[in-house]
Amino acid sequence: MSFIDVEQVSKSFRINKRSAGVAGMLMNLVAPKYEKKQAVKDISFQIEKGEMVGFIGPNGAGKSTTIKMLSGILYPDSGKISVNGYIPYKQRKEYVARIGVVFGQKSQLQWDLPVIDSFELLKAIYSIKEDVYKKNLNRFVDMLDMGGFVNQPVRQLSLGQRMRADIVAALLHSPEIVFFDEPTIGVDVLGKETIREFIRELNAQDQVTMLFTTHDMQDIEKTCNRLIIIDKGSKMYDGSLQSIREKYGTERRLIVELNQEEELEGIEGVTIDNLENRKKSLSFDNNQVNINDLMNNLLQKYSIRDLTVSEPEIESIIQKMYNGEV
Amino acid sequence: MNTKKNTLSLAWVYTKMIFHSWFQYRVNAVLASLAVFCREATGILVIYFTLLKFDVLNGWNMYELLFLYSLLFVTYGILIIFFTGLRDFWRIVRNGTFDRFILRPRGLLFQLIFANADWFAAVGHGGLGITLFIISAGRVGIVWNFQTIAYYIAAIIGGVLIQGAIFLFLATLNIYLLETGSIKELFYYNGRKFAGYPISIYHKGIQFFMIYIVPFAFVNYFPAQFLLRKEDMMYYPDIYMYLTPVVGVVLYLLAYLFWRYSIRYYKSSGN
Repeated sequence: MSFIDVEQVSKSFRINKRSAGVAGMLMNLVAPKYEKKQAVKDISFQIEKGEMVGFIGPNGAGKSTTIKMLSGILYPDSGKISVNGYIPYKQRKEYVARIGVVFGQKSQLQWDLPVIDSFELLKAIYSIKEDVYKKNLNRFVDMLDMGGFVNQPVRQLSLGQRMRADIVAALLHSPEIVFFDEPTIGVDVLGKETIREFIRELNAQDQVTMLFTTHDMQDIEKTCNRLIIIDKGSKMYDGSLQSIREKYGTERRLIVELNQEEELEGIEGVTIDNLENRKKSLSFDNNQVNINDLMNNLLQKYSIRDLTVSEPEIESIIQKMYNGEV
Repeated sequence: MNTKKNTLSLAWVYTKMIFHSWFQYRVNAVLASLAVFCREATGILVIYFTLLKFDVLNGWNMYELLFLYSLLFVTYGILIIFFTGLRDFWRIVRNGTFDRFILRPRGLLFQLIFANADWFAAVGHGGLGITLFIISAGRVGIVWNFQTIAYYIAAIIGGVLIQGAIFLFLATLNIYLLETGSIKELFYYNGRKFAGYPISIYHKGIQFFMIYIVPFAFVNYFPAQFLLRKEDMMYYPDIYMYLTPVVGVVLYLLAYLFWRYSIRYYKSSGN
């Protein structure tokens, strides 16, 4: 059996549908109408110890619901979940002592108190031994460069600082598995990079199994080898990042900014569009056109001020899956 | 043994933390206690001046009424040290804190209780209760000996448990209904308002409500009767004067079982 085993899990919520106005309110009181919303539909996957897996999908795809079931907050309606031999929602206390969860949108730190006070509280909650606590704290504070603000009240921290502190808070008790739910949401580029770097290092050094959800494709590219795409509650894809790139995400766009106004000569397999301010957009298939050759070619022929390669967005990849452009 | 010590020390860490965060805003903390005290005391004063016209109410004089009131406030003061997390359960669910409690290897009720103790409102309510007690206790003819003091303490604990059970029951109901603010208003706060007077002045229906539905009568009326022995006790069985601790423990156990059974139906608040 795998370390994490999810078998045909489904979960739906009952949503109270209320019509507008006073009449609707009264009707709702007498005969409430409920609508069933299927959040997760028949999802199955296995994850091995030490793996780092990214869950990606648009908002409302069922990522958070899956994480909540895996971490034991929600009971699945049907299906089986087992993690390291535990059934999360049945053996709660034993299980949660071995996992860490970071909710990017909901801090677990004490708003009014210095960061370190929240850590001390967690030490008491998890009964972390003094030497383990000291060792973990020093290591993570060092890795995430938090020395400057660990004694500041949480309310004074920037979003990026708060997120780093929240990540450490979830790791102090040396969990075997860590769930990250949108760990980079709202964080600036530099902050995101620090967090990704940290996640990578932790996985490599400690063999901690990690699952994280995001809708930022970059997060996945910088950290995970394996990717699970969920949309509308169903699993759309489960496999390596490499192969999804090859299969679905072969279209690339190169944005070229020229130093002077001039027309580009036609290139085979490349669609050229004129954008504003001497900018051109070059779209092509990554499998047919070699991006290095294309760039070299352009740099030799034209005087170029700027070049950017844009990756396909997750939404467009999912759209392609639906359209059957596999 | 070890885990018990562990639990106690965690309760202590929580308590320290609550004080620590409140004292980040020292002036506000003191004012908050004072504000609660004044708000509630104003209510008492209004009743005081109204009742001056009556002299006695169903045989109860002013000091006896204040004594009846003091029981309500002393129990509420203790109540919100332990049960604020249950009173405000809907908010704790809604802001995602309850999800976090589930993710920590500790009892859920334990976390709800100790992470949410409202010590400053407790000082306000309890302080008013003690003030009323000091004003009235010496003037209502109670002989304070070992027996009456022991009874008083048992009645206070029972009264706290009865109200704690109501909060726990409403919190559990919240798991199913997601919104229980008006039910709490209807059953708990109305009951508490009625309990400010001897229940014998009310219509039979309200008396029934206060004894058997939301048993506030056991929080202050019957314990006060044990100590004061007013004439209107003849309408009720004598045994009721002794039942407060029993009612408290039984109700709390029932509410606890209901909670244990229902918690698996908990639905997270979502994002």
